[in-house]
Amino acid sequence: MSQESNQKTGIQFIACSVCNGTGRAGNGAVCRNCSGNGVIAYYQGRFYYSSLELSRPIIKLRHLKNGVRLSVNSLAYAAGLIGLVFLAYWVYSASLSTADFGAFAFWREKSAYILVFWVSVVADMFVVYRLSEEEASKNKVEKIKYGEAAGGASPDNWSEFKKSKGKFKTEVTASFSVGALKIAEQAFILASSAGHGEVKPIHLFFCLLKDDVSAALFSRLNVNPAKLIGKLKNQLLAMETGAKSTNVSFEFKEILLEAYIDALTFSRKKVGPVNFILPCLERDKNLSEILYDLDINHDKINNVIQWFAISERLLENYRLYRQASRFKPSSAMDRAYTAVATPILNHFSYDLTLAAKWGRLELCVGRENEIKEIFHELESGKHGVLLVGPNGVGKNMIIGQIARQMVEEYVPQILKDKRLVELDISRLLSGVTAAAAEERLLVIIDEVARAGNIILYINNIENLMSVTSGAEESLELSEVLSSALARRELVCFAAASQDNYLRYIEGKALGNTMAKVDINEPDKNAAIQMLESKIGFYEAKYKVYFTYSSIAKAVELTAKYIHDKFLPAKAVDILESIAVKAAKDKGINCLVDAEDVADVLSQKTKIPLTKITEKESELLLNLEDKIHSRMIDQVEAVAMVSASLRRARTELREAKRPIASFLFLGPTGVGKTELAKTVAESYFGDENYMVRLDMSEYQRQESLEKMIGSHDGVLGYLTEAVRKAPFRLILLDEFEKAHPNILNLFLQVMDDGRLTDGQGRTVDFTNCIIIATSNIGAVYIQDQIKAGAALEQIKESLVNDQLNKALKPELINRFDGIIVFKPLSLPDVENITKLMLEKVRRLLEAKGIGFEYDPAGVKKLAQAGFDPKFGARPLRRLIQEKIENQIANVVLGKGLKRRDTVLLDSEAQVKIRQGRVL
Amino acid sequence: MSNSFIFYSVKILTELIGGIAYFPVWWYSRGLVNLLLGVKDFLVNKQKALALIVWVKNIFKPMYAQYDWQGILISFFVRAVQIVFRSIIMLFWAILGLAAVIFWLLLPILVIYEISFQLI
Repeated sequence: MSQESNQKTGIQFIACSVCNGTGRAGNGAVCRNCSGNGVIAYYQGRFYYSSLELSRPIIKLRHLKNGVRLSVNSLAYAAGLIGLVFLAYWVYSASLSTADFGAFAFWREKSAYILVFWVSVVADMFVVYRLSEEEASKNKVEKIKYGEAAGGASPDNWSEFKKSKGKFKTEVTASFSVGALKIAEQAFILASSAGHGEVKPIHLFFCLLKDDVSAALFSRLNVNPAKLIGKLKNQLLAMETGAKSTNVSFEFKEILLEAYIDALTFSRKKVGPVNFILPCLERDKNLSEILYDLDINHDKINNVIQWFAISERLLENYRLYRQASRFKPSSAMDRAYTAVATPILNHFSYDLTLAAKWGRLELCVGRENEIKEIFHELESGKHGVLLVGPNGVGKNMIIGQIARQMVEEYVPQILKDKRLVELDISRLLSGVTAAAAEERLLVIIDEVARAGNIILYINNIENLMSVTSGAEESLELSEVLSSALARRELVCFAAASQDNYLRYIEGKALGNTMAKVDINEPDKNAAIQMLESKIGFYEAKYKVYFTYSSIAKAVELTAKYIHDKFLPAKAVDILESIAVKAAKDKGINCLVDAEDVADVLSQKTKIPLTKITEKESELLLNLEDKIHSRMIDQVEAVAMVSASLRRARTELREAKRPIASFLFLGPTGVGKTELAKTVAESYFGDENYMVRLDMSEYQRQESLEKMIGSHDGVLGYLTEAVRKAPFRLILLDEFEKAHPNILNLFLQVMDDGRLTDGQGRTVDFTNCIIIATSNIGAVYIQDQIKAGAALEQIKESLVNDQLNKALKPELINRFDGIIVFKPLSLPDVENITKLMLEKVRRLLEAKGIGFEYDPAGVKKLAQAGFDPKFGARPLRRLIQEKIENQIANVVLGKGLKRRDTVLLDSEAQVKIRQGRVL
Repeated sequence: MSNSFIFYSVKILTELIGGIAYFPVWWYSRGLVNLLLGVKDFLVNKQKALALIVWVKNIFKPMYAQYDWQGILISFFVRAVQIVFRSIIMLFWAILGLAAVIFWLLLPILVIYEISFQLI
């Protein structure tokens, strides 16, 4: 007995031992042991088998049968219609001969026409019979009932299958949709006409692409159909041809069975062509390789099938819901007419159940557990439920869903035949004193208590807190509500954000009387499903189509890069702008793919998120050269920084830490700050993506507040800058000079990539590059370099002997790299002089003035400006004084016109060469 | 291959003939059950729409929460009138449903009778 158990799906395939799964005995007849089934599947305590026969004559015969059935049915239709026409004609001719209505009693008259009519009634009855039977014969995929799914080891032999009762055996092909059956037949015909010996998964997959739903699925996955078909054709052409007869392969039979179980687990009603896709891929490695080349894997296909299932389920739910909502009263009255009019409440509120009845509330996906928990609290006697969760996780959606369920009456007894009414707090409080607001609230609570059919919902309930009527020890509004809740006069839902709950509600009377239900941010898969349920709206509005990868990307990127908002709201927010942008850029009916999402998010967060383009990858590979065009020497430092940037861009780094953190050591004026600027420019595209903090300004402990802000509203310089644009280079100049407590902050930043600011918000540093510079040991470095020591050796003794006196060892350890900058040599300074003169040239060129310099002059200038202690810094001053000042004087004295040339001669003096006169 | 072809053609033929032969039996068995279930659903929905049972259950409960004795008294009579009125509508629907069932049961007999009446 051969058997194959699929670990992932839990399906066990059992092949017939007599025919080895072929379904045929040696002489070509049907195998007696398995009646031609060949292979069966065992899944959750049930057997599944397929009695689909595939061979050319049988397919023809099946078509013939369908044809005959169709013609019998149409014959019956026609006969019924003809009978009616005959009757009508008889009535018409009878009306001509007499005006007496008694004459129309056709059942009392004898006529050939009436005979035809009565015979046709039989045909009508036959039509009713046929329609009703066809409806009944459409087997639906039968769901295994709760508790009936038996796990455990399977009876692994064929006799067990034969013995088991009908209830535990399911014939799968009866539940196949017409399209699915057609594709199975087409696959056979394709294999047979190509002369292939067996119908393989690839035949089935090839025919699948003709199906509309499958085509839509692949277009959601952004697959180029021509490319896919081309590749499949190549595979088909490579197969052996010339077989005399075509048989159904073992894998093909397995696919039919697994497609059914697939549909079962997706709770579909019918097995559609899409259900073939995953089983096909599992059985043909070439196929999955082809799709992998097109950037598609098992998970993606699975999620898109889910998406289709979700839309279908939403539509179905909607239909059921519309049916159920017919019975909900459309006024403020309950069905038993025991309620009381509530004019004041109506003035300050919005009726959610009415909105739900007229379908004005959006659909809520997921969140079944939270709603169950809310109902559980109500059933266990609580009269107030407080939903607590961050903004944007969908607290209002949950309340909306409860309103929808109240319309369907799919709720606990306490909510049945009630209205859910949202109290508008801002309206309640506006324009009146606290005492009057309290009066209003008391009246409303009275009304609710008397009416008896009202459930209140108060969004942002913290607004009720600490509103008092002024006098000392008077009640605040929330206590009015909480005492009413405690007396069980009304049922109330409320919502508050996490921090407001902690700040205003926890521990107060209201917090104690209401049950708290936490609404957490959904995980990525749930968020994707929530988005999928909303996509249809934007697609219809902007006439664009979202691919699956764009939705997944939107969730993934917002989860990663937007930290002050929460899923799913933050992903939904950007969806609309993505749709608008795609519609504008690509035109209507275009496909929105992951790149569009990355594009929009890049714009919003200023983070380069798009796929690495050819141009950019070239830039990254040659980053050293690019940096060296601005920086002279310091090869080691540049190489180290470039390597870490490449790692970051290709996402080969730990996501929980900053992109990179470096400590630059070296004397002043050797290019530490310049390198930081160059990195900001070459990596982020602009020098301005840099926050520069002079740590000497943070020498006292109190300056901590300046850096991270305080709870009373002062915004921190560092945290605000990073919160607004998370993709930044942070330059910490003279790092060691800051107060040790401030330095301790950076322990956490460099380790976890986040920091909590004075207001309690978490600021994300994972997209930052942190560069700290320090002058510690500058003299030591100069001395050692002069003495000819190796850079590595200098670094070691610097870290061990000098650095640890100023910084804690754990902080030193946190840096990805400690880079020692060499003091500049004279040739270096010459090169720097050239770079600086080039800058002057660019400035002059903008004015239409030329600039030339003599190498000897450059040398002279370099010698004059070089100072081993201060590096290249005096050089800048020198160029300013000697060259820029002189040029400025000449310009002001009108001695310099357009097309003139400024010359720097071998003595480093500035001269002017007159340009040609036009 | 060939014997399964014969097997299949025989099977299809019997299915066709059997399908037609089953028709009269179906009319009084599965067809009738389907109709009864349909009429039941129809009546249940009509009852729900009329809220007849809700009115009967609440006959002693005052309308509009008027718990004084006048309110209770007036409510009782208004509710009684409502119940009578709604029952009449419900009865109409019930009769309609019953008529459909009777029509279903008698239709074949009527057709046979009429055809024979025409022929004789």
